[in-house]
Amino acid sequence: MDLLNVYHLQIITFMAVNSILALSFYLPLSAGQLSLGCAGFMSIGAYTAAILSLHYGMPVFTTIPAGAAAAALAGVLLGFPALRLTGVYLAIATLGFGEVVRVLFLNLKITNGALGMPEIPNLNDYFSALYRSWGLQGGLAGLDLPRLAALTTVVFCYFVLAACVAFVLRQENSRTGRAMAAVKADEVASGVMGIGATYIKMLAFVQGAFLAGLAGAISAHVTNFIAPGDFNYHRAVNILLFVVLGGSELVWGGLLGAAVLSVLPEFLRFMQDFRWIIFGALLAAMMVFRPQGLIDRQLLCRFSLRKKPGMDGMDARSSSGEVD
Amino acid sequence: MSLNKRILTFLSICLSLALLVTAGCSSPSGPGGGAPNDAAGEIKIGVVATLSGDGADYGVSIKRGLETARDRINGAGGINGRKISLVIEDSHGDKNEAINAVQKLINRDRVLAIIGPTNSGEMFAAGPVADKAGVVIMGTSNTARGIGEIGPYVFRNSLPEDNIIPITVRKSKEKLGFNRVALLYSSNNDWAVSSAKTFEEALREQGVAIVETQTFADGDTNFQAQLTRVAAAKPEALAVSALYKEAALLLIQARQQGINLPVMGGNGFNDPELIKIAGEAAEGALVGSPWYAGKDDPAVRDFVEEYKKRYHTVPNQFAAQSYDALGIMAEALKTEGAAADRARFRDALAAIKDYRGVTGRFSFDENGNPLMDAVVLQIAGGTYREVK
Repeated sequence: MDLLNVYHLQIITFMAVNSILALSFYLPLSAGQLSLGCAGFMSIGAYTAAILSLHYGMPVFTTIPAGAAAAALAGVLLGFPALRLTGVYLAIATLGFGEVVRVLFLNLKITNGALGMPEIPNLNDYFSALYRSWGLQGGLAGLDLPRLAALTTVVFCYFVLAACVAFVLRQENSRTGRAMAAVKADEVASGVMGIGATYIKMLAFVQGAFLAGLAGAISAHVTNFIAPGDFNYHRAVNILLFVVLGGSELVWGGLLGAAVLSVLPEFLRFMQDFRWIIFGALLAAMMVFRPQGLIDRQLLCRFSLRKKPGMDGMDARSSSGEVD
Repeated sequence: MSLNKRILTFLSICLSLALLVTAGCSSPSGPGGGAPNDAAGEIKIGVVATLSGDGADYGVSIKRGLETARDRINGAGGINGRKISLVIEDSHGDKNEAINAVQKLINRDRVLAIIGPTNSGEMFAAGPVADKAGVVIMGTSNTARGIGEIGPYVFRNSLPEDNIIPITVRKSKEKLGFNRVALLYSSNNDWAVSSAKTFEEALREQGVAIVETQTFADGDTNFQAQLTRVAAAKPEALAVSALYKEAALLLIQARQQGINLPVMGGNGFNDPELIKIAGEAAEGALVGSPWYAGKDDPAVRDFVEEYKKRYHTVPNQFAAQSYDALGIMAEALKTEGAAADRARFRDALAAIKDYRGVTGRFSFDENGNPLMDAVVLQIAGGTYREVK
């Protein structure tokens, strides 16, 4: 048991990035929009952060918000035409958007085309340099410098994640969140009740894009290197998988799904050649036994101290039948 | 449950999952850097390769080459009596996995050095991680520019196309004496585009005029239009940069149109599948390669025989390059103190000069990139032969 091993800290960092991605998929879904554009928005965030830090020498703490903002802007531009579509047609259009972005980055000069962008400043190095400038070459409290830096990266990522989770939860219990749930349940009826469905859908969509861009920007600063191939269709499906596996009804579902799917491949390393066979079998088994995902409302009610479901006012949502 | 409580619950779930990973693994919790802790037993070398997913065939060849090399070195008494053991991890062709695998090898298995990962992209992601930790990482299959330049601890023994293509052009020109060349390449494949650029530069340097440039796309099956334009420009030879499928179809259609000119190819021509598909049309094509299994050299013959005995197939360039990589490392390990200390091992490796491997004579340049010659092969009688 050695949680402060740099290897384990690395996995925990990836877990945070994937959790933010799961949130970015969950947000539009909570307003009834199945968007598969996460990979595209993630790449916009990642490339924006990479270009700003490599070509313009901007520090990490400005490039990460800039990446998120660029993705949100793209979300606004895409949202206008795309949100006229519903259900599976929106999914196809947003998936197409992801491919368009990928091919664009594949052919631009500034993104170095298919060769990708190496030497992106790493968060660990940034914190290492910071601690060195404070005269902590020897580390602190029995931790050597590499571990201390890796731990700081983890704390930073989880701080960002906690802020995102707090925002999503606050919104769910606000007027806006109720409106999203209403639009998800029945768009026409919610319109009759005086909810501006277009505005609400757009809001959820852009928020999702913002979070995907944020995750992309952080991942660029964690993995040292990005290439267009990192953000292909497989990535979009992977993000979808977090939410489908964990449960698409609640925030916690996607977060748990992201955590499980980040850890599982590493946990199964001891299986060597059988690793992906076991991984696939586990996924299939989970889909058979928990088609609604690992966490759903009922399960949460059983564990929480509440007497009956629906105190959150979220019972207006339909079950997640449209994700299949 | 209040909001804060929920967030706390979630974080504790994350933490317990992380603990799950670390459960059942008794890892020594010494400091992150420094010496691997098995000073007397086996010398542990980590391997990260794409053993599943896209490109798994490359990873499997690499693994086989390394295992053949390990058994040969250990069979001959190891390094001063100590055996080499390989800790092999799969990267699934994914850069995040490659980073995780490298972190695991360094921090949990405490290996002396690492061989891999397979793709250049994975190396750009995982190379800096090993470099910062002060652990040698050596690619055996990365051909992108700037790999050795990642840092002092990053090496490779794979020859990039930037080095191979100029040799192909030089030798072909010596042999055939052409002055007008038409260039054809796949424009939607980044690798083909960059090797076409290398062809342009190499031809210009050799004083050869490029009289026509035509492009196509991966997946195309009809090249008649491009070939008609090429024929009209009256070149004396063709340079083709494409994957083997498109290259084979292009060769067949060129011969059908009566363009019986010599052809120089990029790395896509190094695949025996090309000869299978193109048949007669592939005869006479020239390609540069870091590896030639038919070389008249006892070391090469021994390696090919041994490999055939184990895996019932002829080793490809990936197997040969990884076989040499472990050989180069073993050579460096013989240096005083290199087997016990990561930094000393790095210096010993950088000092390797004129190592005689199965892919030829080998040295590192100042950045840790290879200095070696490529072989130019010509397709003749349905197989590859060395151009002398």
